[in-house]
Amino acid sequence: MRGGYVSVANVAKVFKTRHDTVEALRDVNFTAEQGEFIAILGPSGCGKSTLLMMCGGLESVTSGSIRMAGLPMVGARSSIGVMFQDPTLLPWMTVLDNVLFPIRILRRPIDDYLGRAQQLIDMVGLGGFEQKRPHHLSGGMRQRVAICRALVHDPDILLMDEPFSALDAMTRDEMNVALLDIWQRHRKTALFVTHSIREAVFLADRVLVMTRRPGTIVEDLRIPFTRPRDFAIGETAEFNEICAHLRSLFVAGNRAESAPEQRA
Amino acid sequence: MSSPDGNDGASKELAMAALLPLVSAALVLGLWQFAVTAAQVPEVVLPAPSAIARQFVSSLPELLRQARFTGVEAVEAFVIAAMLGMTLAAAASFSAVARDALFPNLVVFQLIPKIAFAPLFVIWLGVDAPARLAVGVFLSFFPIALSTTSGLASTDSNAVRLCQSLGASSWQTFVRVRIPFALPHMFTGLKIASTLVFIGIVVGEFISSNAGLGHFVLSAGARSETPKVFAGLVALALLGLGFYGLIVLAEHITRRWWRG
Repeated sequence: MRGGYVSVANVAKVFKTRHDTVEALRDVNFTAEQGEFIAILGPSGCGKSTLLMMCGGLESVTSGSIRMAGLPMVGARSSIGVMFQDPTLLPWMTVLDNVLFPIRILRRPIDDYLGRAQQLIDMVGLGGFEQKRPHHLSGGMRQRVAICRALVHDPDILLMDEPFSALDAMTRDEMNVALLDIWQRHRKTALFVTHSIREAVFLADRVLVMTRRPGTIVEDLRIPFTRPRDFAIGETAEFNEICAHLRSLFVAGNRAESAPEQRA
Repeated sequence: MSSPDGNDGASKELAMAALLPLVSAALVLGLWQFAVTAAQVPEVVLPAPSAIARQFVSSLPELLRQARFTGVEAVEAFVIAAMLGMTLAAAASFSAVARDALFPNLVVFQLIPKIAFAPLFVIWLGVDAPARLAVGVFLSFFPIALSTTSGLASTDSNAVRLCQSLGASSWQTFVRVRIPFALPHMFTGLKIASTLVFIGIVVGEFISSNAGLGHFVLSAGARSETPKVFAGLVALALLGLGFYGLIVLAEHITRRWWRG
């Protein structure tokens, strides 16, 4: 299992405060091939977002090592695009300027990226909204802008931290389809954190299941559906069997977790 | 056809909002005029509004000259205060050490009636413009520093993370994200400062000037020319109002830019 485009080896994270130490992650191991779509699935508080931020160089690693595209992660890197739970658009900028924001920060020539930005905006169905401000857009549209922004500088790796969890269920389904569509054309290595089982199964090539206290990966499941995927696969028996299996892992995890508490 | 609750209602509300304070002010002035005339109050004690208006018109050239003197110094002091306040706020936002070292002391400083420092500035800076500017700056920089600091601190933490994820320098994050987020807050401080700076300049003129509206009011008072004192006060009020209006206009333009 050494190597891999993304490699996370024996990673642990301990948060130390003045009063206590919290072991957020213990002995996390996984690898991802180039162009693979990995979903990291877990209940809230299992450290999955922390793990993602460590992969993005936004959070320090207590022990172990993370290598992205062969290089050890020691800080933020322009070959990585990040999407947060909140679209995090800048309210004084137009849609187009928000999409181009990474280009300005990276001090690359804007003109070289105008075409790409426009293409991305069109691809997510926001053509005609380039000059609108974020507060004119719906939640789903804002998150579409955030997708464009995460991709505009052509990163090799896309990190997504529950990007659709604040959206209503229908918009969320729509965004999943839109994301797969765009990922189909820009084949990035993707790490997608979510607590929705169906979302993980629909999107990913592999689902990594995490449990809590300390967060660790208990299952690495390959999702057999071929691509491009249709939203209708969610209705198949196979899809639902996979979901049921994943759900059973959480139920088992919860039981194991609550056992010592009952004794106390 | 008239809409029951559309634009008609809104514009009526706006007209009322503009009209009510004017009506109440006119009422007070009318009462004042009536009381002074009926009770035959001597002009040196309290001149009638009509007498003040006459004095204002006849002193207008003189008032304009003095207002220009005071106005220029107020604007100069305001600009210096804004730069000083914003620089302090920037330092506080860049370095926690600077913030912890500066701000508790500044707050304690706020508790002292700063106007009492004016004689010190005269000792240090002489009786000319620098002393007056110093009083104006001293009085007005604090609200700017405080509001800008809280504005810079109010930056969306996700936006800062976004910058970090792109490897932005702290300077880039500051210029492209923190400053724009701070702007709406900053204007709160600028508005307060725009009124305080006039207090500072007028007090400065009281103690060290032979020109300006403060000096005009003070010397008219010394000669018991009460209508002139009031005419000077009216000029000061108009000057302050004009300056405040400019700040509000700048705020409005900034908000338009911010929200689109």
